[in-house]
Amino acid sequence: MAMTRREFVAAGAAVGAALGGGVVLPVGLAWERDRSGSVIAVVARFPDVVITDQGSLVEGEPVWFSYPSEGQANMLVKMGWPVDHGAGPDRDVVAFSTHCTHMGCPIQEFSPATGTLGPCPCHFTTFDLGKDGMPAFGQATQHLPRVLLRLDGDGVVAVGLRRPIYGHSDPLHGVAVRVLEST
Amino acid sequence: MTNVAAPSTGGFSSDQARTLIPPVGSTEHTTCCEYCPVACGYKVFTWPIGSDGGPEAADNALGRDFPVGPLAGGWISENMHTVVRVDGALRNCVVIPDPDATVVNVGGGHSVRGGALAKKLYRSDGPTSDRLTTPQLRVDGVLVPIPWDVALDLVADVSRHVIQQHGELAWGMKIYSYQFFENTYAASKLALGAIATPNWSPHHAPAEGDDVPGLSDAGIDAFGAAFADDRAADVILIAGTDPYETKTVRFTQWQSPGGAALVVVDPRRTFTAAYAEENGGIHLQINPGTDTCLFNAIVLYILEHGWEDHEFVRANTASRRELDAEGHWRRVKFGRTREELLEYLRSDRDFTLTGAARVTGVKSEKIREAARLLSGGTGAQPLTSVLFEKGVYWSHNYENTAAIANLGLVLGAVGREGRATARMGGHQRGGVKAASYPLAKSPHEVDGHPIEMDTERWLVEGRTRFRWVVGTNWLSAMAGSAALSRRVAELVGIGPTITSTDPKTVLAQMKARIDAGGMVLVHQEIYENESTRYADLVLPAATWGEEDFARANAERRIRLYQRFMDPPGDARPDWWIFAQVARRMGFDGFDWADSNAVFEESAPRSGGSRKDYRALVEKARREGVRAHDLLAEHGTTGLQAPLGLDGDRITETVRLHEDLRFKSDSGRANFVLPDWSAVRNRNRVLAPRPEKGEVWVLNGRVNALWNNLSDFSRRQLSNDRWPLNPIEINPLDARRWGIGAGDLVSVECDSVLDQVGERTSGGFTAVAYPTDAVPPGVTFTYFLFPGSPSNNVVPADTSLQPLSLRYPFKLGRGTIRRLGRASGIDTMSFVPRNLVPSGGTGHVPADV
Repeated sequence: MAMTRREFVAAGAAVGAALGGGVVLPVGLAWERDRSGSVIAVVARFPDVVITDQGSLVEGEPVWFSYPSEGQANMLVKMGWPVDHGAGPDRDVVAFSTHCTHMGCPIQEFSPATGTLGPCPCHFTTFDLGKDGMPAFGQATQHLPRVLLRLDGDGVVAVGLRRPIYGHSDPLHGVAVRVLEST
Repeated sequence: MTNVAAPSTGGFSSDQARTLIPPVGSTEHTTCCEYCPVACGYKVFTWPIGSDGGPEAADNALGRDFPVGPLAGGWISENMHTVVRVDGALRNCVVIPDPDATVVNVGGGHSVRGGALAKKLYRSDGPTSDRLTTPQLRVDGVLVPIPWDVALDLVADVSRHVIQQHGELAWGMKIYSYQFFENTYAASKLALGAIATPNWSPHHAPAEGDDVPGLSDAGIDAFGAAFADDRAADVILIAGTDPYETKTVRFTQWQSPGGAALVVVDPRRTFTAAYAEENGGIHLQINPGTDTCLFNAIVLYILEHGWEDHEFVRANTASRRELDAEGHWRRVKFGRTREELLEYLRSDRDFTLTGAARVTGVKSEKIREAARLLSGGTGAQPLTSVLFEKGVYWSHNYENTAAIANLGLVLGAVGREGRATARMGGHQRGGVKAASYPLAKSPHEVDGHPIEMDTERWLVEGRTRFRWVVGTNWLSAMAGSAALSRRVAELVGIGPTITSTDPKTVLAQMKARIDAGGMVLVHQEIYENESTRYADLVLPAATWGEEDFARANAERRIRLYQRFMDPPGDARPDWWIFAQVARRMGFDGFDWADSNAVFEESAPRSGGSRKDYRALVEKARREGVRAHDLLAEHGTTGLQAPLGLDGDRITETVRLHEDLRFKSDSGRANFVLPDWSAVRNRNRVLAPRPEKGEVWVLNGRVNALWNNLSDFSRRQLSNDRWPLNPIEINPLDARRWGIGAGDLVSVECDSVLDQVGERTSGGFTAVAYPTDAVPPGVTFTYFLFPGSPSNNVVPADTSLQPLSLRYPFKLGRGTIRRLGRASGIDTMSFVPRNLVPSGGTGHVPADV
């Protein structure tokens, strides 16, 4: 079913927008319609943000960045070996949210030898970035949210997010959240 | 670029970026986690499909603004959501750690196990769709559905026949010891009360009886410790368990934030062991099976240096005259005064620092440092607690528990703030017996004294003609499980096969089998498992969330686990099944209207125990309300037992032994003979044989899994992380054996003592997980992974430990051999599992 139109609810509105059927959508979401104009899906629209360029990546050295909004911390790393969902010619570039999915603490410890993020300073969960951000040990029940990447020339571009970020019912919701401009 | 985030009705992946929030007006219940003994408090919300709440506080049932911040609690992950039926209608359901909890998981903490409780719930369109939903009968080898009436009549009629023709000792029940009060009471009322059989044993042992007899003979209640005392302690000995992995929130919210120096005794460098060494504590990495020697050496060092709690020992331990007057023969035989214990400890060079270092593999400096840490090393005592679990008592049961009790006593670690000697627990505590175990009927004895029946030996000898297995994967959970399975296959194969669905013919065929020396097997469960394959009758049980139940956690906190959804199909709670069979057998007193009626009736039998809840039921009676309803008012906080009544007010008990009275006839504590020579002799039988190339094959729990995986093999995360059973192997051993990470290996032993003391063989396969968490010569595997029965290499001959008839589950042995590459393990991670923050400590919630 082809999409014909996308609409985006302006960020910044404090309350949702009413659709035809009386459905209220949280801000930050958009809806997709089919050819007849019926709503077929609610979509979250993520910005495209250039994180870095491939040429400057060094194996095992993380790049820390915010996405999809300010204050939502992530890291991108060239692991040095092919991994699940790895981008680039060596299938080894991945990016994940660094908010622990257990209780939301920020994780800043990355071990290049094992490709692990963690242990989280709060309750000690360790995530395996070579296995799609799976909690390899500890108390988190969810993989780290993975940042969807697109290689655009030399640029490494964040284009979306897979899985929820701790604390959020929707990563694009919230009047306190300013969605980054596409670059 | 867009990412579809359509409202979910509960997909099984957590791939969507959006999660559901319960709306204002959702139905709210309280419960506790089903799994470990900590039992964190949980809230359950259900609401109609399509009417989700919003992220503003005014628009959701949690009254919280989303996003919530770190450590704030209240976030609802995809794994906390599912869809259930309530009164037949589909409803969204979230099960979340109670963000308002003021005890246990204060502020909404949780483990990886509890954090996905929602995924255990039945739904016909998901991975739990294979729940047992109807009674079944095995006809010509195939399980076919039958109605409850037919199933219950068959169980009752066969039971009557067995008891009449072969006596009540031929009628056996194997059942969880820990489950909810309502179920354990109803089961024991039938088996121990009405039938009065000694052929009754818990899920984890071949015989009823004491798991920690050394501690009991010392007079110490094994479940005394309150979590608050972990927080208050200066030093905590943690032996034979990794609390971070298996009692998580107790570690993350009570132990690590309290800042106590941890003295960890474990053959493995677990997370907690590594954490201890990074945070002012110490890891004593002992050779398997040498705990008694280590504890004896520490006790001796403390006594010789005058570092004991003199005042406590003088005032509270028994004299020779008091020991001689003890009523129980074991206390008379093994009870010791301080001076007698000291004399014993001085008599064996293995208890000197150098002797103990040679035996245990722990450097003498470390043993000395442990003695100094635990006792303060000056005569002024720090607040020390002595905590332990199965690594201690599921090896050399009596001697290890005696030795650790002595250590607790010399440290004065009893009954005071920050000072306890206790088990950390393997399960929650939901056992209450309607009648005493009929010890006098037991056919087994030790030293001329009656001891509980070894029911597995009895069964293997062909003397059990009917066995009713309730809520356990019995065959895999017992030691020598390969031999046991082979024998059960024989026993159910004797005489005629069941070839008919006509109840009269079935009954006749079952009776014929029984009279020919065979056995009829009933399995009452929520899912099929390895023990179901030999069952003649399968009875589907309703469980957690599907019925109102009560039980206590490891700190004696009793709470109501509320029903919030329909059981699947025709599944019924265990208490109801027992009652139905009992009535059909002609017994009186099984006419309960609901689980609350069972709970209220059971209260007097809790009297005098650490779980005493008589006061709750009495208060409910005075107020004319149901006891379950009164307990529900206490939500996730519950009531800390033993309970009392002060006028109309229920009183609780934070700490046991606070009056420094002990559970002995004199009321004083006893030192107990920690007989190292018995252990040495037993180790000669149990230890790996170098000439065969054998190594220790230890087993235990793993953080992200629980027991027989009945829930966890139906969780995506568990299956991703652990698609097959892992076996930890030291990298040096792995290299020596030509084994790499991800290889499938066989673990074999050609000399396993079976239930009757015969040598047999057993083995299993597992995926190699090279790690320096285990030293060379020691391997470790999960204890109850489906399709990987690690208890096949554990001896089942209870004559090895005649004092308590406990299996040395933790002391398996075998040879490891590479079979090839394991398949289907693409998602499995092999990263280290004991990484600790460098120098960091755990978070202390602000409101604790």
